Amino acid sequence: MRLFVCVNAGDNQMAKMLNIVPEKCTGCMQCELACSWVQTGTFQPSRSLIRVNVFDEEASYAPYTCLQCDEAWCMTACPVNAIGIDDATGCKVVSESLCVGCHLCTIACPFGTVFTTPHTDTATKCNLCGGDPACATTCPTDAIVVTEGDNAGDWFGLWAEKVEGNHLSAMDGTRSAN
Amino acid sequence: MAKHNLIIGGGPAATNALETIREFDADAAITLICDEPTHSRMALPYWLAGKIPEKHTHTGDDAYFQKLNVTVRIGERVDRVDPVKNSVMLSGGDTLNFDNLLIATGSSPVSPPIPGKDLSGVQPMWSLAHTQSVLDATAGMEKPRVVLVGAGFIGFIVLNAMFKRQWELSVVERESQVLPRMLDADAAAGVADYLTSQGVGIHTGTSVTEIKDDGGAKLVQLENGTSLPADIVILATGIKTNLELIDGSGITTDQGILVNDRMQSNFENIYAAGDIAQGPDLYGDQNAIHAIQTTAVDHGRVAGANMAGQDVRYPGSLLMNIADVCGLQCASFGNWNDPQAEVMTVNNTRQHIYRKFLWTEDQLTGAIFTGDAKDVGMLTDIGMIKGILQTQTSLGNWKEYLRDNPFDVRRAYIGAGVAQKLVGTTLTGRPARPRQFHFGGNKPAASVGPAHTAFVSTKAD
Repeated sequence: MRLFVCVNAGDNQMAKMLNIVPEKCTGCMQCELACSWVQTGTFQPSRSLIRVNVFDEEASYAPYTCLQCDEAWCMTACPVNAIGIDDATGCKVVSESLCVGCHLCTIACPFGTVFTTPHTDTATKCNLCGGDPACATTCPTDAIVVTEGDNAGDWFGLWAEKVEGNHLSAMDGTRSAN
Repeated sequence: MAKHNLIIGGGPAATNALETIREFDADAAITLICDEPTHSRMALPYWLAGKIPEKHTHTGDDAYFQKLNVTVRIGERVDRVDPVKNSVMLSGGDTLNFDNLLIATGSSPVSPPIPGKDLSGVQPMWSLAHTQSVLDATAGMEKPRVVLVGAGFIGFIVLNAMFKRQWELSVVERESQVLPRMLDADAAAGVADYLTSQGVGIHTGTSVTEIKDDGGAKLVQLENGTSLPADIVILATGIKTNLELIDGSGITTDQGILVNDRMQSNFENIYAAGDIAQGPDLYGDQNAIHAIQTTAVDHGRVAGANMAGQDVRYPGSLLMNIADVCGLQCASFGNWNDPQAEVMTVNNTRQHIYRKFLWTEDQLTGAIFTGDAKDVGMLTDIGMIKGILQTQTSLGNWKEYLRDNPFDVRRAYIGAGVAQKLVGTTLTGRPARPRQFHFGGNKPAASVGPAHTAFVSTKAD
């Protein structure tokens, strides 16, 4: 697997991204509230652009949002060029005034991290709050930290192993008991 | 001397190719020939629905192409390609030479053999001109009555746009179900039921025998004896590839131009991309035409990189049909119609929620989804399913998990490590670049409101 290489923001400036530390996440959902508040002006977790994955069965929690990937499937798929790169952060951002609401980006994104704003029917995704993400500010346990560099995807593999190991071994138990 | 890259076509395959050539090669000469202004066909329904102006569907203008140093000949057509002399002949009589040629002429609607198909007010809905003509024909009408002939993907995209305008709609489909090349019979039955509940007339298993003029309005006569009055009739009975310009040229074709994983035809300097290209299929042994936006973009970028001297290989396109059918989101992927596959299905006929997973051993090879288009969870599940299919990840024991928990795609996705595989991959070997052309000059940028400023200032260091 290739290491995560980030898009340069502006000239030779490292792109910002969120690094997640799943071991520190307590599943408190503060990040979802903060995100929906600063992005939409409502305290509505369903409209948050960061989603905490709660796997209670194995006491495993981790916030999950756009990884600002290199391929930017959302951006390349958009038929009206409504998704671009923010020069300040290097992250991919949706222009609400350009988006026609075709939903193609939400489906083209193989991470499932592009959403639709219900009342405008336009796409929306993490824009890193322009460089100072509210989710990282609010996280009481520093499970979400802003980094600059090339390690943003690294946490993902370890967490996947944990979910895979814990969940499937638990499930094997139930199956053999049946 | 700089190579001359000639591109025929004005859709997403063509524009992505020229942008990619320019990305890799600042000096290459590029000429673009297309009969309509460069635009995105996928955006036309939003113009038809009155959501955006025509210009918003355009993907470039004079200033943009000038900035990219691309010679553009809009409103012209290529009549003939000569792969031996490396030249093309334009309908105006000019001959142009090329070092590399990209054929991205797409497809066009087939004209069904129905008496009355040439009446005014009976037309396909495919191009900029067609869209304008529907808008003209319906201008001033309060509630135009429309009959759509053909309940395929394109017909339904048009249907959705007209539904938003609250027009009076009927659909006629010769086959026994709607969306026959996108959904299985059970999912399609749910869609038909939903559309009926939304006031759309559904007539499946019957065909149009004649369209009659009825004092300016039309009367659409069906085989089953029904006759439907209409102000306009949209013919959406299928599309065919625009291959006329290479007739007898020696370029190898099947349904489209056969291309390898670098998008080259049997002539190594002649490339094809988009609807006209029959290229590698991620889930098939045979080359296939996947006439969709995402494949056109991928094809264009791969062709462009290779035309600029790179060696970029395309792993193959993933068949992916997605349509918002008047508020019901429908999607199918990969080998959704594979009779050999092992199948898991959930069918909630009351809420029109349908999920079908198709498996070859522990590998997901296809899927069908329907559900409320406003259901955010379903849309992200669809994205994750696309990720699983695209990475061809074996799901191991997660397969049984999905059998028991078909609405918890997320855990299987994370546990199987799909995102990890995707994070470092790129199509052309480097990060995708944003397009530089934006309607009205509105460049996307992050915007944060006063709530954000207040919020982040509350945290003490």
